[in-house]
Amino acid sequence: MLRNPFHLVEFSPWPFTAAGGALFLTVGLVSWFHGKGMTLMMIGVLVILLTMLQWWRDVVREGTYQGYHTSWVSMNLRWGMVLFIFSEVCFFFAFFWGFFHSSLVPTVELGCVWPPVGILPLNPFKVPLLNTAVLLGSGVSVTWAHHGLMMGNREEALYGLLLTVALGLYFTVLQWGEYEEASFSVADSVYGSTFFVMTGFHGLHVLIGSVFLIVCTVRCYLHHFSVTHHFGFEAAAWYWHFVDVVWIFLYLCIYWWGS
Amino acid sequence: MAFRLCQLSARLIRHPILLSNVRASSAAHGPPVNQHEGKTGVPTASMPDGLGHAVGLERQELLMKLSGNEDPFEMKVTKIPADNKRTNPITVYCMEPSRMVGCVCEEDALYINWMMIHRGEKRRCECGYWFNGVAYDEGGSSHH
Repeated sequence: MLRNPFHLVEFSPWPFTAAGGALFLTVGLVSWFHGKGMTLMMIGVLVILLTMLQWWRDVVREGTYQGYHTSWVSMNLRWGMVLFIFSEVCFFFAFFWGFFHSSLVPTVELGCVWPPVGILPLNPFKVPLLNTAVLLGSGVSVTWAHHGLMMGNREEALYGLLLTVALGLYFTVLQWGEYEEASFSVADSVYGSTFFVMTGFHGLHVLIGSVFLIVCTVRCYLHHFSVTHHFGFEAAAWYWHFVDVVWIFLYLCIYWWGS
Repeated sequence: MAFRLCQLSARLIRHPILLSNVRASSAAHGPPVNQHEGKTGVPTASMPDGLGHAVGLERQELLMKLSGNEDPFEMKVTKIPADNKRTNPITVYCMEPSRMVGCVCEEDALYINWMMIHRGEKRRCECGYWFNGVAYDEGGSSHH
């Protein structure tokens, strides 16, 4: 028997393809912004998607089919996820810092007021409030799914997950509509810049969280989860709650106070 | 040609017959085994419990813990009993011909005394505690 609880991973090409995909994605994005077409960016998106698919598949094989995820490996995965989410907190903290730097003492160029002169902010009590309700509701449904898993009730776990994914996608559609409706753009003063960078990155995180939850739904459907071992789901739920909390702060600070 | 065909078909038929003969005559007697026992925690559950579909090292760890071994990977510190002596040493299981062991000689020690313990040899730390290297029964497993 193996006398250590750790998983010594095999050689894997995915870190390299992920790095290459990220390079294409970022350079391609900038080149798209400069009017040179979307080809480079789409290559990056494709490589990232293929890497995600295969890397995820490999980890599922190692954990579920080969049994490499002992309690120690599981604990290290937990710490990895905690540290990852902490780094995400720092990421958003920096943007909130930028927002408050500009909004608490608005400069002369902005008219010494916030929102700046000429900006017509979105009404926080219309779609943004609905978005808040949708995301908070999805936090409840993901907890329902978790209780389903812990009780060994696969059907309820699946319903909870499907509802969460549906609410996440509904949120994305609503945000898309808000972006279409907005009277300002990312180029309209620091208000537009902070608004679209912060809500845009939040929307990106909602999309990533939705993908994570969809993967969990498929794995639940395929009987990958047991009553006590379903860390893939727990990580997705942590991530989803984090995205939820970021939205609460966005809503309170940017949509409500900031308007 | 006809001979070859006969030979081939005879071989094809003989193999499953022999196999089923062996299976039918060598099966263990007694009540049939419930292959799904323990895979769900409660009768109403539609998902496996912790042991359920766990495989490999994860399963071994769970089984060791179920059998009462709370430290299946020997990750915890071993407390040295008071009657430790040459005839009653601490057993050190070695997968390799030798294994490195650290002895915290006394409770207040600020450092660990490291030493090599060899299979089949007793060894005494400079503080006086005795260790005995014993080959670990691997049970035919491979890996790393």
